[in-house]
Amino acid sequence: MPCGIKLEPAKELSLKQPIATLPAPKTLPVPKMFAPLRRKKAGTAAILNAARTAGIVDELDGKPLEEKLMWFAAAETRVLIAVCFDEDPMTSAEQAVLRESASRIAAGLELAVRACGASVGKIAAANQKEVQRVQKDCSGTMFLTAGGRYPALVLLRRALSETGRKAGFLGGQACLALSDAADRGLAQSETVVTVAGDGARRWKNCRARLGTPIGEVLSAGEPLPETALAVVGASVNGRSVTDLSGPVTATTRCVLAMKRPPRRTVLPCIGCGRCQRACPRGILPWMILQQMESGSPDPFRLFNVERCVRCEACSVVCPSQINLAAAVARAEKFKEGKCNP
Amino acid sequence: MTLTNAAPPYVKSEFTVSSMMHSMLAALLALLVIPVAHYGLRPLVAAGASVLTALLCRILFRLFRGKGGSVSEASVLVTGLMVPMLLPLNTPLWLPCTASAFAVLVALEPFGGFGRNPFNPAAAGVAFVSLCWPKRVFSYFDPSQPASFPAFGAGVFHVAQSPAEILKQGFKPEILPLDMLWGNFPGPLGSTLILVIGACGLLLFLTGAGKAETTLCFLGAAALIAAAFPRILCSPLTSVKYEIMSGSLLFCSVFMVTDPVTSPRTFPGRCLYGAFAGAMTMAFRWFGAYEQGACFALLVANAAAPVIDSAVFRLRGWEGAAA
Repeated sequence: MPCGIKLEPAKELSLKQPIATLPAPKTLPVPKMFAPLRRKKAGTAAILNAARTAGIVDELDGKPLEEKLMWFAAAETRVLIAVCFDEDPMTSAEQAVLRESASRIAAGLELAVRACGASVGKIAAANQKEVQRVQKDCSGTMFLTAGGRYPALVLLRRALSETGRKAGFLGGQACLALSDAADRGLAQSETVVTVAGDGARRWKNCRARLGTPIGEVLSAGEPLPETALAVVGASVNGRSVTDLSGPVTATTRCVLAMKRPPRRTVLPCIGCGRCQRACPRGILPWMILQQMESGSPDPFRLFNVERCVRCEACSVVCPSQINLAAAVARAEKFKEGKCNP
Repeated sequence: MTLTNAAPPYVKSEFTVSSMMHSMLAALLALLVIPVAHYGLRPLVAAGASVLTALLCRILFRLFRGKGGSVSEASVLVTGLMVPMLLPLNTPLWLPCTASAFAVLVALEPFGGFGRNPFNPAAAGVAFVSLCWPKRVFSYFDPSQPASFPAFGAGVFHVAQSPAEILKQGFKPEILPLDMLWGNFPGPLGSTLILVIGACGLLLFLTGAGKAETTLCFLGAAALIAAAFPRILCSPLTSVKYEIMSGSLLFCSVFMVTDPVTSPRTFPGRCLYGAFAGAMTMAFRWFGAYEQGACFALLVANAAAPVIDSAVFRLRGWEGAAA
């Protein structure tokens, strides 16, 4: 029985157009330049130094790339994977970046592999079609494809860990930034953000300067005046914002305009077991909910709650529209002794 | 643009409780098509009266408790529609109404409504009227003789023994196989249409509204017992044929055992529950006072469902440490 859930992807519209570059706000400083590396000779220390000087942040988890590479080296990671697909059904930023600059991602990945002493680097694309599209641009790079089920990255990680090989994951845009830093001496100053949602007239991918207000990115999608909800991050597990002056960061994957907030009539759990099948981390969300609702949860029955990755697949599939992810998060806090049930 | 805050997720899967209930309703309504074609409006009136009673009881209960909540919740309609399917067409209209009133007022709402009920409400309602008015519940008209039913009031019909009753007496019912498949034999309104029930079951399993494993284990256990201990002198296969097709067994296996609320939540638990309910049904047929025991068996299995679940937990090591 496969884990995860099937979500209808809505990426074609935003992938149709090339990535548009948004004008940088005048208040932001001009990005710094420094001396590029000589690629052929650059050793581990030089590459790590370039990653630090360029201030590269991995968009997958918001951690500095240099730290991640050092950690991979310490853990003796064998395979390094550049994630060039988007888990979220409405986001297509990584996919668009892969289509546009596959060769530079491959070059950045090669540098990262050298920096952490891994044996091989692979690019993970959304599907076989994407691989065929970019294969001719970067010969000699290995590809692998992510499954079609949400959350694809978590499921890919799980599938790889079952094979027993240690794999490390990097963001595609972080690889691109590393290649730019090494070749042209550019600091990481931009990120690609998808603008979509039923409240946006034009769906597209925008290249925005880091620190651009979210409102400016949103207005590039020409939001309808009746837009009631602005979501940052992802359509499944993102967060809604009411203040549009917040900055775009390296981890901002998408900005969505929604015409109306999701309407939920929460019903009691009917025990269908869909959340259990959806969870990629082996949690039994229905049991967690039962335990938390009972008022005196038994910590021995709150299995695996500490492994939750907040993908919210359980909340999406629940036919009773219960916010199971919130119950799991509460159970995790309770298990750590940080709150009452 | 006025922005609001809302909690994630911002996408939703198509499958919800109401879509599940709608496919249940569609399947139950499909069972009414052939009776309506044969006997006019009476089956629709019986179903409508039962559904209306169920809805009214729910509204009254909610008003009495001073609770809000949507009145149009489809689960009540499903319960109301299931009850007349388990009763004969020739009963007076008050009988299905009483059964669905009992189902809603005693078995559903006092426990907190749909999702918290430990027993299948329709089974409880039908079990109640079977105990109170067994003569009316187990007297069926003969569909092979001319019969007519006005929309309201008593009809003109011949009473005949149902195959379940003949089996109970230890004789072999003489019904052609094709007649059995098309429901041309005395029995409850919705439970004789073997082919339609099979098609509805397929629809429910494909839309995800029901779990196939429960039904399969239920039928498997019932068939196994029927083959091993036939009630009549015949080959095991003939015994299996008559036991499965007579009475409300097949209807229960497709529409009632699969109810996710009252069945266990683990896969092995559901298999065990189905097998247990099937075995109980056959036990009620062997030893029970009445010709049909599926509803009683289902209630017993419902009571056992939490125990089955915790047994599965224990086997898997999910049980908490002993206090």
